[in-house]
Amino acid sequence: MTDATATLIKMEGVKKVFLTDEVETHALSEIHLEIKKGQYISIAGPSGCGKSTLLSILGLLDSPTGGSYTLNGQSVANLSISERTRIRNREIGFIFQAFNLIGDLTVYENVELPLTYRGTSAAERKQKVQHALERVGMAHRLRHYPSQLSGGQQQRVAVARALVGDPLILMADEPTGNLDSKNGEAVMELLRDLHRNGATVCMVTHDQRYANFAERTIHLFDGRIVEETQEAHVGA
Amino acid sequence: METIWQDVRFGVRMLIKHRIATIVCVVALGLGIGANTAIFSLAEAFLLHPVPFENSDRIVALVDSHVASQDGGAGFGPQDLNAVAPATYLDWKKEAHSFDDLAAYAWDEVNLTGDREAQKVQDFKVTANFFPMIGVQPLLGRTFLPEEEEPGRNQEIILSYGLWEQRYASDPNVLKRVMKVDGRSFNIVGVMKKGFDFPMPAEAWIPLALDVKERLRRDNRWLWVLGRLRPGVTLAEGAAEMQAISERQAEIYPDTNKAWRLQPQPLRQFITGTLTRQYTVLLMVAVGFVLLIACADVANVQFARVTGRTSEFAVRTALGGSRWRVVRQLLIESIMLSLVGAALGLFLAQWDIQMILAHMPPDVARFVAGWKTIRLDSNAFLFALVIAVFSGVISGIAPSLVGSRASIAETLKEGGRGSSVSRTRHRLRGALVVAEVALALVLLVGAGLLVKGFQGLLNVNGSYAPQTLLTLNYSLPEVQYAQAAARLNFSEQIMRRLGSVSGVQAASMVTHVPYADGGGINDREFSIEGHPLTQRGAARTAIVETVAPNYFNTLNIALRDGRLLSDSDGAESPQAAVISESLARRYFSGENPLGRHIKTGKAEAEGKWMTVVGVVNDVRYSWIVKDDIPTIYRSFRQAPPFYTTVVLRTAGDPLKFVSAARAEIAAMDANLPLYNIKPMDKVITESIVGIAYVATMMAVLGAIALTLASVGVFGVMSYSVSERTHEIGIRMSMGAQTGNVLSLVLRSGMLLTVLGLAIGLPVAFLLARALSSLLYGVQAADPAAFIGLPLLLFAVAGIACYLPARRAAHLDPLQALRHD
Repeated sequence: MTDATATLIKMEGVKKVFLTDEVETHALSEIHLEIKKGQYISIAGPSGCGKSTLLSILGLLDSPTGGSYTLNGQSVANLSISERTRIRNREIGFIFQAFNLIGDLTVYENVELPLTYRGTSAAERKQKVQHALERVGMAHRLRHYPSQLSGGQQQRVAVARALVGDPLILMADEPTGNLDSKNGEAVMELLRDLHRNGATVCMVTHDQRYANFAERTIHLFDGRIVEETQEAHVGA
Repeated sequence: METIWQDVRFGVRMLIKHRIATIVCVVALGLGIGANTAIFSLAEAFLLHPVPFENSDRIVALVDSHVASQDGGAGFGPQDLNAVAPATYLDWKKEAHSFDDLAAYAWDEVNLTGDREAQKVQDFKVTANFFPMIGVQPLLGRTFLPEEEEPGRNQEIILSYGLWEQRYASDPNVLKRVMKVDGRSFNIVGVMKKGFDFPMPAEAWIPLALDVKERLRRDNRWLWVLGRLRPGVTLAEGAAEMQAISERQAEIYPDTNKAWRLQPQPLRQFITGTLTRQYTVLLMVAVGFVLLIACADVANVQFARVTGRTSEFAVRTALGGSRWRVVRQLLIESIMLSLVGAALGLFLAQWDIQMILAHMPPDVARFVAGWKTIRLDSNAFLFALVIAVFSGVISGIAPSLVGSRASIAETLKEGGRGSSVSRTRHRLRGALVVAEVALALVLLVGAGLLVKGFQGLLNVNGSYAPQTLLTLNYSLPEVQYAQAAARLNFSEQIMRRLGSVSGVQAASMVTHVPYADGGGINDREFSIEGHPLTQRGAARTAIVETVAPNYFNTLNIALRDGRLLSDSDGAESPQAAVISESLARRYFSGENPLGRHIKTGKAEAEGKWMTVVGVVNDVRYSWIVKDDIPTIYRSFRQAPPFYTTVVLRTAGDPLKFVSAARAEIAAMDANLPLYNIKPMDKVITESIVGIAYVATMMAVLGAIALTLASVGVFGVMSYSVSERTHEIGIRMSMGAQTGNVLSLVLRSGMLLTVLGLAIGLPVAFLLARALSSLLYGVQAADPAAFIGLPLLLFAVAGIACYLPARRAAHLDPLQALRHD
């Protein structure tokens, strides 16, 4: 049983400044954000507003310039690289716009990758990979390479890879961006099913149709949260 | 372990996927590892196993070298190591406590006759304790007994395995046989084991017997002394004790010992010799350079592959793969590449070794310490494995560290098509090209200088047209030719008979032709009347040749002053001598040598003074010694020799006259064995075969380095063009012409080349200075090497840059703009 009201992510005053050739670019400013376990949250906004930067920081792919960030009760803003890597591996599942499957690994090997890095035994890996692929309906393509799959199928495999390690939260960065509408819908349905089964999902999208799948939507503009909306129909 | 296996499997997949890159890397590494393994095998043979018996670690050679004096006497060349006199050896035996035994040996050549065909063999006179001291047992029979060191009781002989096999068809009853050695009967008492030929190139051993007179001599240095260190005594301790003894002897016997300094050295070092060691080290450094260039090539290929796989590494890192795991994955791929390269390298090394062994003349090979042990053994396999892992790590470490450092967020955001171009990566790849060019230049210059020096060695002898000279040796047995008149008569008849053979333009004789005995120098002490040595114990030395008067004309040695020797310089005439210009220069500086009197040996020694009647041009005697060597020529009529070299000037191929020469000499003495029958040009090439090998190997390594460096430049520029395709598209859309794009690419490639040349030139100059001190004909500031070879490298690099530049210049601007 998970405590549905427990706070999973808490950001206070997070900012991100990029320094390029002596030019300061404020990508994020004064981000205050709280995500509870089991929530489905989308981050929306126009291109260049800082959505992906925020998701990168949430996913520990990047670190904030300032502010505090607590993940599952642990401050993670200033962790070492190896500690961040360990947390990413165990507690976060990523889904990318461009799928980012490794072309030279089979479907099975791609999904197995997070468990390999975690040091999971081969037998357990096999069982978990099989289960994850079954959840996304790709168990019949174990030996295929990504290039042998359609875009939608590739993204399903990417979702399976994100799920396989039972992460605390799924981070999805424009998961439908490289898909046609039919496949995009299918992937969104998949995320909704996962959420219904208890998964915490945090998704970046610029498409309002898909933002509406989430129960909360954070609107970013020029690196600041300008609005937050609640969707009534989530789970319907 | 399981995850390593996963990395290995994935690595195999990657290597198969990028076949062209894999083949380029495997070939480059194969060449580098192969060359290193082959040279390692040579080094192992020359430096670690030069003696054909085990446990030589405690054996020390006690050799003397000259001390330079103001009288002009000094040793010649870098291998100035000399034997010691019998009395010195006997003193050492009594006084030395650091050694549990001292043994002596002396080189000899004897004629075997009697039970089989006459045969000349290399034998060594050894003390009875020689074999026990080095710990060698015979295959058959026994070694020598102490009483066999007594003069008159030294009528025993031990055969080498090769001589036993060749002369007696491996007869197991050979020990019952008696053979004639220089006309005297010797009992065969032993046969040594196969492969044992120490001291090289021994074919037989007889006891060293010193008579009372000889045991007291301190001026006749002909014994080589070995000592075995007592357990617990170091070489330094033993050497210190021996040097103290030697210094005491120099004080007591200054006339004979003052001008010498004892140089104890480990037997292995003594046997290998300074030059072999230096050239082996030179080749090891050269192949090391080739391997580094190959590694730089592979690193550049790896950089390109890593760049193409940036998104893969970002995904791995995003999913929890640590940076170390990514680095490990790449290093495993790199090491696998090297291991495949090592497999190819082992084949190449085996082929190299076969080529090296096949092209060495047997007459030379038997004088090269360790030659018989050259092979690709288990140590060579282990060495190949170690350098493969080393190569894999050094060629893979920089690409893997840089590749694993890419920004994950940036890379993933760009949808897996690779992150923005890293400046670090560019700089590193540029640095690798610069290093490749610099290393290749150093190797090329080294190779060029050695090849030129080798050609110089051949050309310097052109004046006497060695290709139409036939040389052969004989040594008259002491028993039969004890009387000078008998020797003179024999020599005169030989000259007359051979001179009348149809097609022989001149028949002459000399003690040693230039470059005989591999170019070793046999100099002897001599004195000048009225010109005593200013320093006690010092000595003047020169090569002393006993020649027929027509020798000078036969070898086109020009007269500089006075007259040549003539037929009238006979036994009853005043003793005459002709000297070389270098002797006149060195020992008669500012004086006219003509009419002065000289004598071999010390002034007070027995023997007549010779009057200097002429001065002739110098002849080059050795490739080792850069300076001309003072030489004294005297007539065979005034000192009829036992040992001589017959020289025939022939019309055409000298080998056509071998049978006629044999027949004429056999008609005089059917039992006299002839040996070293070869054209003079072969004598020269065999004496410089070592440097020919080194020069050839350096030339091949230089060519490999040039090829690998140009492949490196081509690879980097090709990749640079593909990376900059979009930029080139923008430039073209803004009006850049074909020439502009061409020069853009060429400029960046040639800048790296010029940087490499600028770094390589000073290093090459230092190498050239080292080589010039080693070898005749090599100039440290050789313009051809320092202008021509950099230009060659520049031109080849230019072509390597031009090909990708031309591709860039012919890009379709529209497609280039769409390029990711």
